[in-house]
Amino acid sequence: MKFWQKICLFSIITFIVIFNAASIMVIERNHSKMLQQEMNNTLSANMSINSSVNAIVPILRIYDSIDYEKTVLTNIAQEFVEKNSGQGNYLEIAGDQNKTIYSNLDFDMPTDREELEGLQPDEIRYILRDIGSRTLLFTTNVTDINHKSYRFTYIKDVTPLYTERVEQYNFFVKIDIAACLLYIIVMFLISKGLTRPIDRMVRTAKEIAQGQFSERVQLKSRDEIGVLATNFNEMASVVEDKIIELERNNSAQQRFINNITHELKTPLTSIIGYANYLRTTKYDETAFLEGVNVIYNEGKRLEALSSKLMDLILLTDRQPLMKPDNLKDIVAEMESSLRLIASAKQIELELQCGDSPLSAEKDLIKVVIFNLVDNAVKASGEKGRIAVRTAMQGEACVLEVADEGSGIAEEHIDNIFEPFYMADKARTRNNNGAGLGLSICRSIAELHQAAIEVVSVIGQGTTIRVVFWQQNRVIEVSGS
Amino acid sequence: MNKRILIVEDDTSISNIIKMNLTIVGYETVQAHDGIEALETIRSGKFDLILLDVMIPRMDGFELMEKIRPLEIPVIFLTARESVFDKVSGLKLGADDYMVKPFEAIELLARIETVLRRYGKEESVISFHDIQVYLDKREVTVRGAVAELTPKEHDLLVALLKNKNIALSREQFIEKVWGGDFYGETRTVDMHIKSLRKKLGLQDHIKTIYKIGYRLED
Repeated sequence: MKFWQKICLFSIITFIVIFNAASIMVIERNHSKMLQQEMNNTLSANMSINSSVNAIVPILRIYDSIDYEKTVLTNIAQEFVEKNSGQGNYLEIAGDQNKTIYSNLDFDMPTDREELEGLQPDEIRYILRDIGSRTLLFTTNVTDINHKSYRFTYIKDVTPLYTERVEQYNFFVKIDIAACLLYIIVMFLISKGLTRPIDRMVRTAKEIAQGQFSERVQLKSRDEIGVLATNFNEMASVVEDKIIELERNNSAQQRFINNITHELKTPLTSIIGYANYLRTTKYDETAFLEGVNVIYNEGKRLEALSSKLMDLILLTDRQPLMKPDNLKDIVAEMESSLRLIASAKQIELELQCGDSPLSAEKDLIKVVIFNLVDNAVKASGEKGRIAVRTAMQGEACVLEVADEGSGIAEEHIDNIFEPFYMADKARTRNNNGAGLGLSICRSIAELHQAAIEVVSVIGQGTTIRVVFWQQNRVIEVSGS
Repeated sequence: MNKRILIVEDDTSISNIIKMNLTIVGYETVQAHDGIEALETIRSGKFDLILLDVMIPRMDGFELMEKIRPLEIPVIFLTARESVFDKVSGLKLGADDYMVKPFEAIELLARIETVLRRYGKEESVISFHDIQVYLDKREVTVRGAVAELTPKEHDLLVALLKNKNIALSREQFIEKVWGGDFYGETRTVDMHIKSLRKKLGLQDHIKTIYKIGYRLED
């Protein structure tokens, strides 16, 4: 059963039960009050007969004549009946052996009257009886006159009270039906209205489950459902972010695998292709020389790739062996090998090294410097210039490699640290690069909690800064 | 006239080795090293087939494929990627075949031949010196006179001609001529080669290559 149906049904049931019970109670109470009042009236009327009779008892004693008694009692009764001339008043006076002295009953007195048993003088008993279609209130008392018992029965027709009650019930049923109908309609609308936001959330949740992660619930209310919707939306956006992140990671991984396959298979294709060509065709000197040359070069490329890949793999999740050092000294140590790679393009290598003490793993820093200079050489033209600078900038220790080469287009800058990413594939390939250098630099920088900043202008050159933060110096102080 | 094949491949060595292998069996080749260059070359010349690397600079193979599809030139993709997705998307784009690097030269030649045959671009007559092979009729003539060859000898000759100047191993001959489910000895190949040499006078042209197999030389 749906929630709105539950709300609707339960509240309707509750309403019907309470409304009916309350109404019935009111009607019944009203009825019993009126009945009570009627009884009181009847009893007091009976008592007034009684007192009239009692008043004349002394006189009757004097005369002591049954006939006279009868006449007097009849007179009193007639007088009484005349006084209470309203509808449905009956009086019966009976003497000994149930001999009726007076009666204006228009029905037969019931023979079985249990209220008479053990009835004492000066006691009034009453009972309700249904006779025919009427309901009658019998009040009876016994009075002794001259040692004879007379029974006075005053009967009041209370049928109107019951008719009234039936009428009230009839009226109530009509009211009840109308009220319940009205309530059902109102409740239907209310429960529908209250649960509509839930419906909407259900629909949105379904859409999200089907993969539309950008779907959100549009709800403006401030009640609990509104809060739920807000939380739901927050949850949905967290999920969406996570999914996007996962997808991004996944595609980065996929790209890495694609690239690695490509980088491995390209040299292999050449090597196998040339070897097979040389193996299966007639010897030809030009082809032979070209072939072995390609095999050698591609083999070297594979070697370089495998060692860089190993570097990259070994760098992940590794704890560097930090030792106090100075960037200036590290660069000075590498000077000759840096000049060697620069000399291939007759590039002028400029070293501007200020004192910059830091705590680092020297061999890794050397890899960073080598890769950055190597990239700078690849980006530079013949006879270009490359500057390597080290310095303290405030609390941070900065390594800077600047070239005046081709520069990196803005759209590539975000990606250059991704493994195998090559801004210019053809050039990188011709330079025997696999696109791993900067990834390795980034991994090393991460191990040292250093940041890498890239400033590049197309056609004017690139400057890469590695900023080693202060915390390394703290380690250094504690280490020295 | 020789078939013209365009090689679109950014890696110079690979491009060259493909060119060498195709040239040696008698195809005419043109090389392009990136997508844009390839597109220009395709628009300016007539090609019977394109060998297309997927990962090429400036415009990748799939993109280029979409652009040249209306020209209805058969295309064989060359790629290092092995994923099913790539294969499916390559073939969906209308490529005729798909080769994963690294590949063997004779496999490439076989695929090229298959694709060309599918497009009805295959030569129906192969000439070699004074020998004519009519593929449709399965007839071989030497200086105009019909040579009596057994079916296997005929197929062996065709395999030699189609891989001219390239040495094939006995196993490769068996696969091409007898099919993959042949379990006989490799000596069968030697006997058929001997008989071919004798019947067609190819003693000087069918060379025995040490440790490999046989090669038909010009």
